[in-house]
Amino acid sequence: MKLSTRDRFGDFLSYVFMALMFVFFSWPLIWLLSMALRTRKEVFLGVARLIPKYPTLDNFTAVLTSSQFPVYLINALKLSCFSAVGCLIIAAPASYAFSRFDFKGKGAWMLGILAFQMISPLVIMVPLYRYMARLGLIDSHFGTTMVYIALGVPMVTWLLKGFMDGIPKSLDEAALIDGCNRFSVFVRIILPLSTPGVASAFIITVIAGWSQFLVPFLLITKDSLVPIGVGIFQYAGTQNDSSIQILAAACLISVVPAIIAFLALQRLILSAMTAGAVKG
Amino acid sequence: MSARAVRPKLPFLGVAGRHNRVPSPYPWLMPVILVMGLFYLYPVIDVFRYAFTDLTLLGGEGHYTLSTFANVLTRPELLQILWVTFVFTAGSVIGQQVIGLAMALVVVRSEKRHLFGTTILRTTALIAWVVPGIAGGIIWKMLFNEAPFGGLNSLLRLMGMAPVQWLSDPDVVMWSVVLSNVWRGTAFSMVVMYAALKAIDPSLYEAAEVDGASARQKLFFVTLPQLRPAILVNMILITIQTLNTFDAIISLTGGGPGRATEVLSLYTFNVVFRNYDLAAGSVLSILMLVISLTLALIYAGFLPKDDKA
Repeated sequence: MKLSTRDRFGDFLSYVFMALMFVFFSWPLIWLLSMALRTRKEVFLGVARLIPKYPTLDNFTAVLTSSQFPVYLINALKLSCFSAVGCLIIAAPASYAFSRFDFKGKGAWMLGILAFQMISPLVIMVPLYRYMARLGLIDSHFGTTMVYIALGVPMVTWLLKGFMDGIPKSLDEAALIDGCNRFSVFVRIILPLSTPGVASAFIITVIAGWSQFLVPFLLITKDSLVPIGVGIFQYAGTQNDSSIQILAAACLISVVPAIIAFLALQRLILSAMTAGAVKG
Repeated sequence: MSARAVRPKLPFLGVAGRHNRVPSPYPWLMPVILVMGLFYLYPVIDVFRYAFTDLTLLGGEGHYTLSTFANVLTRPELLQILWVTFVFTAGSVIGQQVIGLAMALVVVRSEKRHLFGTTILRTTALIAWVVPGIAGGIIWKMLFNEAPFGGLNSLLRLMGMAPVQWLSDPDVVMWSVVLSNVWRGTAFSMVVMYAALKAIDPSLYEAAEVDGASARQKLFFVTLPQLRPAILVNMILITIQTLNTFDAIISLTGGGPGRATEVLSLYTFNVVFRNYDLAAGSVLSILMLVISLTLALIYAGFLPKDDKA
């Protein structure tokens, strides 16, 4: 029974490793939650009060009833949802063309679009600011949304193209023979069949928009228009150790929507994430 | 598929039957071309123009000059910035790749043995991945807090160890930043490695089994060679991601103490937003662009061939 002992030893090592990794990945979030639930006094007791003796929701109340935070959250929600919808509207037709048509330079177009994905918005921040200022799009959610869309389009195009590749082309051909034109094939047949792909693209874009910092930091100066990423950065800059529990609550509130959105469609997002990297 | 493949190319006939016509892709691509062109490509091109000026945020249109280029590239701090960027990127990429691969291997093995906890581990790691950069920096700043009640130092004290100056010791701070970045980024590598492991042909393992290979031999002579392309692609992708990371650093250390954690992306940000030097910022932007595109080109070489024309 030598093999079985070895297997059991392997299981033991696997458990140890998984436990270590679990602690590493969860500890920061557990700590954040613990801080957010503490009173000011208990903050200074460190790890001894990991589970607070006098847990309180006051920090959350303080954040949610403040004058700025609800506004930051709504701004972030608006920007990320509108940009996700915009991304889909703009990218979906291109994905269809890439998936179904053979044309000269198709590979070059696709790689060109992908190349944008590799360019950080940091690269364009200087001209972007001056350009948007000239267009009068500073302090405008419309302008910021358009830049979010440009940032998201490459990924969404590739993702939807990959998804549409999995839909049999015979469906298109049957519909064309039945007298549909290309556009109605796309709208009536391919898009409805792509719902899972569209949903995961939507969620990924929403999460990316929610996490945006640089673009709104650059393009939005009015406090009432700022999304949560910038809002919490500026708030953190004004805090010190004595209000760390409020900052923790604010931070938690800013993180939770992204986590929930992700968990809702985890499986779809995972397959989308790996598609590009593993095929190679 | 086959119908289109055999259709002869007779463009001068125009419509060879309404349904068989090769549709022009350009109307379909137009929205993407417009949005990307207006809000991304145009500014990218403009960066090159700005780099040859002496523009600042303080006003004026600036003059065209070559001196900004020479000035920025010979700044004494640039060498240090590049070194810091290199250490941060190398540390993060190696950490994420090694831990991500180890986790994927253990998760695949555990799933085969029906062990408990693989889904919990994967989901926890992915939650860290979803945390926005700024929030990630704030969370780690609480953990690294050097007061006796800090999230890591109070843990160390509990175990009877000396506290560490996570963020104020210039020799330690880089590893703190790398640690926080590995925390946030590893899930991506884990997921990619997991998918790549699942894609390995099982008959290879059967053959190795027949040949009497040990677990270690299977790892080194079957698994790792089979993973090579996925590892390369993954490392290029996470290198680009890491090079562009600055939000997690700005809210954790702000680049300090001194310049100990000021990576190229953060330096570019500071040159523009602190020094209002738009021209110098543009030169640095071009530097970042060149690095990213070089990596992107290498990445493109690994993409599936059938997507190329």
